[in-house]
Amino acid sequence: MTSDVQFELAAEEQPGFCVLEVRGEIDVASAPDFQGSLSELIGRGAEVVVVDLSEVSFIDSTGLGVLVGAETQVRQAGKSLRLVVTQPQIMKLLELTGLDEVFTILTNTRDAVRT
Amino acid sequence: MTNAMSAPPTVDLKNINRVELSLSADAQMLFLARMTGAAVASRANFDYERVEDLRLAIDELCVRLMSRGGGPARITLQFQWDEDGVINVVATLVPEDDPTGNGRHSHPTATPASFELSERILDALVDDHGGDSIGGVHREWLRIRRQDPLG
Repeated sequence: MTSDVQFELAAEEQPGFCVLEVRGEIDVASAPDFQGSLSELIGRGAEVVVVDLSEVSFIDSTGLGVLVGAETQVRQAGKSLRLVVTQPQIMKLLELTGLDEVFTILTNTRDAVRT
Repeated sequence: MTNAMSAPPTVDLKNINRVELSLSADAQMLFLARMTGAAVASRANFDYERVEDLRLAIDELCVRLMSRGGGPARITLQFQWDEDGVINVVATLVPEDDPTGNGRHSHPTATPASFELSERILDALVDDHGGDSIGGVHREWLRIRRQDPLG
C-alpha cells in the first residue's frame, strides 16, 4: 500500500542512470515540482532516466502530461525514460490512456536500470 | 462509454442523497474535491475500483474548469445519487472578486497533451460527461454508474 505522504521527491544518480522516486499524489498542485525535478534530472545527461512511481497513490492528466513531456525530451536527446509502476490503479490509468504503449514500464527499479 | 452529454443533469433539491461542496478554485484545494467524491461513491455503495474512478474523474472535472478561469474563482460541486447506483456531478466555476488583491489562487494551464489525456480518462471512466460556458460561468458534469458485480 502507499503511504499518507502528500508529495515527496528523491533523486538518486549513479553512473549511466538516475532514478527519481516519487511518493504521494501527483496532481495539478504537485505537477510543477515534479516537472521541475524531472527536467533537471534529464538535463544531467544520464543514459537512462527512471521514474519510480511505486509509491504514488494518485496521478491525474496533469501528472501524465509531465511524463509525456519528459519522454519527448529524453527521446530527442537519444536517451531512455523508464517507469516503475506497481500500483494497479496507476497501471490501469496508463492502459486506458494508451500510454502503456508509449513508456517502457517495469515493476522494480533493479530491472529498470538494467541496460 | 459516450463522449459528451447534451445537457447537465437536473439537480433535485428534495433528494436527500445530495451533497454540495464549495471551495476556492485553487490547486491546493483539489484534494478536498477528490475526498468528497470518494466519500459520495462509498455512500452509493461503489466498490473500491469505482470509488477510485470517481475520485480521478472529479479531479479531472476540476482541473478542466480551473484551466478555463483566469482570476479568483470558486468551484461548486453538486453530487446527487440514487438507489440504482447512479451518481451525477455538476461542477461550476464562478468568478469572484479578489478583495485582497493578492492573486494567491493558482490556476493550472492545461496543455493540449494533458487536455487530450483528460478527455481520454473521462471517456473511459464515466458513463457520460460534458461541459458548457454561459455568461462567464463554466460548467462540467458527469454521470457514473455503479458496476454490477455480475458484469
